[in-house]
Amino acid sequence: MKIGTPKEVSSGEARVAMTPDSALALQKLGHECLVETGAGKSAGFSDTLYKEAGVTVVKTPAALWKAADIIAKVRPPNDTEAKRLTEGKALISLFYPSQNVEQMAKIADQGASVIAMDMVPRISRAQKMDALSSMANIAGYRAIIEAGNNFGRFFTGQITAAGKVPPAKVLVVGAGVAGLAAIGTATSLGAITYAFDVRPEVAEQIESMGAEFVFLDFEENQQDGAETGGYAAPSSPEFREKQLEKFRALAPDIDIVITTALIPGQDAPKLWLADMVALMKPGSVVVDLAAERGGNCDLTVPDEKIVSPNGVTVVGYTDFPSRMAAQSSTLYSTNIRHMMTDLTPEKDGQVNHNMEDDVIRGATATHQGAVTFPPPPPKVQAIAAKPKEKQKEKTRVELQAEEMASFKQQTKNQVSLLLIGGALTLGLGLIAPVSFMQHFIVFVLSVFVGFQVIWNVSHSLHTPLMAVTNAISSIIILGALMQIGSSSYLVVILAAASVFMAGINIFGGFMVTRRMLAMFQKS
Amino acid sequence: MEFGFTTAAYVVAAVLFILSLGGLSGQESAKRAVWYGIVGMALAAFATLIGPGQGLWALSLVLIAAGGVVGYMLASKVEMTQMPELVAGMHALVGLAAVFVGFNAHFEMVLVAGMDGAAKAALDGFAALIAKKTSIELSILRVELVLGIFIGAVTFTGSVIAYGKLAGKVSSAATKLPGGHALNAGASIISLLGLLAYLNSGGMLPLVVMTIMALFIGYHLIMGIGGADMPVVVSMLNSYSGWAAAAIGFSLGNDLLIVVGALVGSSGAILSYIMCKAMNRSFVSVILGGFGGTSGPQMEVDGEQIAIEADGVGSALNDADSVVIIPGYGMAVAQAQQAVSELTNRLIAKGKTVRFAIHPVAGRLPGHMNVLLAEAKVPYDIVLEMDEINDDFPQTDVAIVIGSNDIVNPAAQDDPNSPIAGMPVLECWKSKQVFVSKRGQGTGYSGIENPLFFKENTRMFYGDAKQSLDKLLSIID
Repeated sequence: MKIGTPKEVSSGEARVAMTPDSALALQKLGHECLVETGAGKSAGFSDTLYKEAGVTVVKTPAALWKAADIIAKVRPPNDTEAKRLTEGKALISLFYPSQNVEQMAKIADQGASVIAMDMVPRISRAQKMDALSSMANIAGYRAIIEAGNNFGRFFTGQITAAGKVPPAKVLVVGAGVAGLAAIGTATSLGAITYAFDVRPEVAEQIESMGAEFVFLDFEENQQDGAETGGYAAPSSPEFREKQLEKFRALAPDIDIVITTALIPGQDAPKLWLADMVALMKPGSVVVDLAAERGGNCDLTVPDEKIVSPNGVTVVGYTDFPSRMAAQSSTLYSTNIRHMMTDLTPEKDGQVNHNMEDDVIRGATATHQGAVTFPPPPPKVQAIAAKPKEKQKEKTRVELQAEEMASFKQQTKNQVSLLLIGGALTLGLGLIAPVSFMQHFIVFVLSVFVGFQVIWNVSHSLHTPLMAVTNAISSIIILGALMQIGSSSYLVVILAAASVFMAGINIFGGFMVTRRMLAMFQKS
Repeated sequence: MEFGFTTAAYVVAAVLFILSLGGLSGQESAKRAVWYGIVGMALAAFATLIGPGQGLWALSLVLIAAGGVVGYMLASKVEMTQMPELVAGMHALVGLAAVFVGFNAHFEMVLVAGMDGAAKAALDGFAALIAKKTSIELSILRVELVLGIFIGAVTFTGSVIAYGKLAGKVSSAATKLPGGHALNAGASIISLLGLLAYLNSGGMLPLVVMTIMALFIGYHLIMGIGGADMPVVVSMLNSYSGWAAAAIGFSLGNDLLIVVGALVGSSGAILSYIMCKAMNRSFVSVILGGFGGTSGPQMEVDGEQIAIEADGVGSALNDADSVVIIPGYGMAVAQAQQAVSELTNRLIAKGKTVRFAIHPVAGRLPGHMNVLLAEAKVPYDIVLEMDEINDDFPQTDVAIVIGSNDIVNPAAQDDPNSPIAGMPVLECWKSKQVFVSKRGQGTGYSGIENPLFFKENTRMFYGDAKQSLDKLLSIID
C-alpha cells in the first residue's frame, strides 16, 4: 500500500503526520511512503531528509492524494480534501466524527474509509496509538512553558545575595494527561504545585507527580473515572458550587493557573470565573488549555493572549502541540505508525481492516460505504477495577459492647477454671499425705511464676529462651548427685552417667545462650 | 546445719533462675540474665555436693568437668543455623538423665525395703528419706517415679527423632506406622497398666515395660509430625523435659527440682501455645500430626510464575525507597544470612529504609530468624514482628521473600479451603513489588500451593538463596 502525507492546509498548523523515522518503520511493514513537498518544513523535516529515508516526494497535493491509497494527516480534512477521498482510499487523521457528521456521511458515500485517531479507545493495548494523550502531554508541558514566558518571576524559590524570591504557586485544574504533564513540568521547575480533579481516584497520580491534591470536602457518590473510560463526567450543581468556592479561596495566592477541564462531547465547563481572575495578583498568568471548546476561564479568547484589567494574562492559544511541531510530529507519527502496524498484522504491505478488533473498530468512522460511528463499547473494559465496598466501621457503642462481652466471657472462663482446679486440688488433699502437699504447693506456685515470667519474654529472644530453659532443666543433675553416693553399683553407674549428661547440658546450654545474646546488637 | 544451708542455697538458686528467665524480656537485660542462671546452677550443684547423703564428690566433679568440656566444644563449634538440632539433642540428654535418675530411685527403694530397722537408721541422704516414708507415701512415690520416667523416656526418643528430622538424617515428612494413633493409644494403655502393676508389686518388670512403651510413644509421636510443625515440637519437648524434672523432684522430695522443672515446663508450654497460635492450629492437631480437616478442594491457582534475573531485582532495589525482607528457613539452609546482612548494609548506605519482617513460625525454632540475623550483625531494631509490620506493606516498594513460603501465602486469607486458612501471614503481596528467592518451582515444606508466586507483582528469583544474593550484591554498589 502507498501511504501519503500531504502538507497541512489549515493555517498555522506546523505538524506533519509522517516523519523520516516513521517512514522507515512504515516501509518495514511493506508499505511505500509518499510525502508532499514541504510537508515537514515547519516541523523541521526537509524534503532531503525524507528522500534519504526512501520517501517519494510528490510535487502537488492533487498528485499525492491521487497516488496514495492511505492518507495520513493531522487535522480533519477540509472540503476539497474530503472530495479527493475516492472509493478504496483510507484516511487516518484526527477527525472528531461527532462534530463532522455531514462530512463523514459524504465520505462514506464516496466509499472511502476514515480512521479517526481521536477515537482510539482508552484501553491498555491501544495506548501506543492514543494520539490525544500524546498531544495532551505536549500541551501540558507547553502550557507551563507558555505561562513561564508570560510570568515575570522565577518558578523556584531562591534566597540570593540580592534578596529572597518566593516560589511560584501553580494550580492545575483537571488532572488528565495534560494536567499531569503540566504538574510534572511545574514541579520540576521548582514551583509549589496544587492540582484539582473531580475524580478522587487520581489523587494518587497527582501526588506521584509531586503536586498537592486540593481536597474537596464533599460527600456525594463521587465519580468513578473508570466507568466513563477514564474521562470526567459533568458534576452536580452543588458539587460545582463547592468547587468554585474552593477556587475562590485559592485564587489570591496562586500565581499561575492551568485549566485543562474537558468533558467529552460538551463545551468546556466554566471553572475559573471573572471574579477569580480579579482576585489574582497582577502579573499572574492563566493558561486555558480548553480554549478550543470555549475555555474554562471566563476571560479566555480562543487563539489569543489577553491581559485582564487587573494585569492578569490569560492565554487562550489552541495550538500548543503545533507550537512544538518537531516534538508533536514525532509522537503523532509514531501513533500513526503503531496504528498501521495493527492494520498490517502480516507485515506484508497488505492492510487487513479487521472490524473485530476493539481498537480498529473503535477508531473507524466510515468503512466500505457505511458510517460506522459511534462504535459499540469495547469488549475489554476500561482501566481500573471497581473499588471494593468498604466495611462498615463499628461504632463506639458496638465496640464497647463487644469489649464487655469478651470481658465477661474471660471472667467466666477464669472463674470456672479456678473452681475446677480448686476442687481437684482439694480432692487430692483428701487422699494425699502432707509431705506430698507441701511439695505440691511449691509446684503450683512455680508453674504460676513461670507463666507470668515467660509471657514477658520478647519474641525475638525465643531461641535464647529455649537454650536457657534447656540449660537449667539439667537441674536434674541434683537428683543424680544425691544418688551417686549409693551403696549399689548399678545406681552409681546410672547416676554417674546422668551427671555426665547433665554436665554437657549445663555448659553447652549456657554457652550457646551467651553466644546468641552477644550477637544481638543495636544499630 | 548442713541441711539448712542446702535449703537456703536452693532458695537463692530458685530466685536466680526466675530472674534469669524474667531477664529475657529485653536484649540488653538478657545478657545479665544468663549470668543469673549460671550462678544459680553453680550454687545449686555446690550446695548439693556438700549436702547430706553425698559421697564420691571427687568423681562427681570430674564427671561434671568432663561433661562441661564436651558441652563447651559442642556449643562453640555449632553453627547458628544448626541451633534447632542442638537444642533438640540437648533435650534428649535431659530426658535420658531423668529416666536414669528415676530408675535409680526405684533401685534405692528396693534396697531400702530389704533392710531392717537398724540399717535404716544408719542411712542418710535420699535413702534415709525413703526409709521414713509410710506405705501411702511410698505408693505416691511410685506414681511420681513412673511419671518422671515416662515423660523422660518420651522426651528422650522424641528429641532424638526431632534432632534427626532437623539435621536431615530422618525424612522430615510426617510418617506413621500402620495403625497410626491406635498404636499410640495402645502403648499408652499398656503404660497405664504397667503403672498399676508397679503400684501393686513394686517390681522391676512393669517399670521396664512401661519405659519401653514410653520410648515407643516418643518415637512414633514425633515421626508423625511434619517438618513445618517443628517449632511446636521443639518447644513441646522443651516443656516435657521440664515436667520430667519436676516429677523427679517430687519423687526425690527436692523442691528446687520441682521449681525449676515447673518453670521450664510452663515456659515450653507457653512457647508451644504461641507457635500454635501463629499457625492458627490447635495444639492437639499438631501433636496428632497432619493438617486438620478441610471442607473442600483448594482454590485453583492460575497464572504463571514469572522468573526474573539478578539485574532486574537489582535495578528495582536501586529504585526503591523502602524495602522489607522476609527471611525463612530457606535462608538458614543456604547460609545466606551474611549475604542478606551485606545487602541490608548497602541499601541502608544508599539511604533506603530496610526492615525485616519475621513471622512467629519462620524457621524451625521459635525466634530462629532473629538469631540468624543477629549472628550476621543485622541490628535488632530493624527486625520487626508480623504485627508491627503488616500494616506497612502497602507503603513498601519492594518486598524480598528469601526462602519462606507458607508464612507469605495469601491463600491463608483468601481460600477458606486451604489447609492453612486463617493462619496469620505476612501480607507482602500488598507491597508494590515482591521478589521471591526460591530454589525452584514447586511447593514448600507443607506442600501447599502458594498463590503469591502467581501474582502480577511477584517475580521469582530462582536459585540458591546465597548465590542469588551474591549475584545481587555485585549489582548493587
